[in-house]
Amino acid sequence: MSTTAVKKQRKYRIGKMTVLDYILMVVLIILSLMILIPFWNVIMISFSSQKEYADNPMMLFPKHPTLDAYKALFQDGRILTGFWNTIKVLVVGLPLSLFLTSTMAYGLSRNKFPGKKLIFFLVLFTMIFNGGIVPLYLVMKSLHLTGSLWSVILVGSFSAFNMILMMNYFQGLPESLMESARLDGAGEWKILFSIVLPLAAPIMATITLFYGVAFWNGWYDAMIFLRKAEMLPLQNVLRTIIVESSTNVSNASSVDAIGKTGFSTGMKMASVFVSMIPIMCFFPLLQKHFAKGVLTGAIKT
Amino acid sequence: MKPAALGPDKSLKGRSKSNPWFKEIWKHRMTYTLLVPGLIWLILFAYLPMGGLSLAFKHYRANDGIWGSPWVGFENFKYVFRDPTFAQAVWRTLYVNIIKLVITFPFPIILALMLNELRMGRTKKWFQTVFTFPQFLSWIIVSGIVINVLSYDGLLNSTLSLIGLPTINFLGSEKMFLPMLIMTDIWKSTGWGAIIFLAAISGIDQDQYESAQIDGASRMQQIFKVTLPNILPTVTVMFILNVGGLMSAGFDQIFNLANAATQNVSQVLDVYIYRITFQSSTDFSFSTAVSLFRSLVNMVLLLAADRIAKLMGGDGLFR
Repeated sequence: MSTTAVKKQRKYRIGKMTVLDYILMVVLIILSLMILIPFWNVIMISFSSQKEYADNPMMLFPKHPTLDAYKALFQDGRILTGFWNTIKVLVVGLPLSLFLTSTMAYGLSRNKFPGKKLIFFLVLFTMIFNGGIVPLYLVMKSLHLTGSLWSVILVGSFSAFNMILMMNYFQGLPESLMESARLDGAGEWKILFSIVLPLAAPIMATITLFYGVAFWNGWYDAMIFLRKAEMLPLQNVLRTIIVESSTNVSNASSVDAIGKTGFSTGMKMASVFVSMIPIMCFFPLLQKHFAKGVLTGAIKT
Repeated sequence: MKPAALGPDKSLKGRSKSNPWFKEIWKHRMTYTLLVPGLIWLILFAYLPMGGLSLAFKHYRANDGIWGSPWVGFENFKYVFRDPTFAQAVWRTLYVNIIKLVITFPFPIILALMLNELRMGRTKKWFQTVFTFPQFLSWIIVSGIVINVLSYDGLLNSTLSLIGLPTINFLGSEKMFLPMLIMTDIWKSTGWGAIIFLAAISGIDQDQYESAQIDGASRMQQIFKVTLPNILPTVTVMFILNVGGLMSAGFDQIFNLANAATQNVSQVLDVYIYRITFQSSTDFSFSTAVSLFRSLVNMVLLLAADRIAKLMGGDGLFR
């Protein structure tokens, strides 16, 4: 019985392509083109000259590819400042967020102690209720953090969701390891750094990517807390280039708006493309780890 | 090992009859030091702002700050609930997010079913990579792409006029704003949303398909009689969880795709809060009152969604 079942199974898997399969294939190819063509369009416009784009806005294959837009973009320099600021946020923010998250996750993953439930509840509660942006802004202001990149770094350096994911992972580590270290006289901090963290490389990688993408894509905090243009992270610079300089994209007067800010369409598309490149480079990693995170976070823990 | 570890524990309990609670705390003092950095963060950036919500019941004076400003009871709320733009923002939020949810929700399920039916493993992976990529880009990057493709002389309108169809003002008309949000949301999020349903499908017992085949079920019948009923719990839970986010969903998208022409239709609650706080008047008490309303409704929705999802046999929001 079971062998026939296996045969049937295999037949189902490899059996010859039916009409349905071909239709499915064609539909999926069309759908993926609908995803890819907008990207292609953006990239090609960034490589075409202003004149060629004006003649043919449907740009899919520029006849005379040029790097003019990129040269102009980097000469303007704002996007480079944005990159630099985002790198600063990442370099300080990632270690800080991993420190805050792993210490708390380890502390809460171990044996019962008085107040454990209360503290866990305090973390959980931040997931369903928050003060919102106005009190946060006022608190940041009274801490004298507004106008400094620290505001963006600090606000983004802890997430209850990431902490709980990490805590669940730590809870799965065998208690005997820590118990024997304790008998050898190791303190909890030493156990965390010399025993737990080396064993937790997979979850650390996942959480690093979670915070990394959040810092890379973050813009709201910076928009609220930072005032000076030269402090803005990449996404905010990109927003100035794209969104704020094309508020009138739809009507004919848009020529004025674009002329005023000095960003040609080619430069805009070039800035979109360069902001995308890091995500593209890390994408295989991101896809794997985020899928894992989503599935452990939402389906089962 | 275990009994040895328990030994000193018992004797400690015996000795500390006077104050066992304090002894317990002392025993775990190292663990508490681990929690200190995280707790400091929570106090500064989560609980101080929550306390700052008290401003909703105060009259904010810049010199006195959050804590020193005088109490005024529910006065701010009187103004909030009397403000027609507030009521409009609430309805706009529900209107936009409910329609968006109802229309976009089936797409990831359909995509997951299609990918599951695809027989070639390698192409399946390739498709998945393409479909999930936009999810990892910020809405600012995506709005750059969207503005380019949907603008008056963009790719889509150029194509439309090339094949003789009338062009559509996607970005600058109030009428097209919601359809445009739905289109772009489907473009960005469908591939990623399919992942959860694909995982649910891969968890289905293969025996069910085998017996369906033995009974002579066609592939379509297998989809509707085996696959769909099996992932129905996941579908229900995902839908309920989405309902839980109705009050706060879509801010990044709406904020970055709105412009002067669509100012009115883009005024959902979060956009309204941003505009009244940082763009027009800076009556912080008033906007805090709106913030508090939003956070409370949000919490009630989330808790209700969580409870219902658990009743349906799912795991809910928090395990």
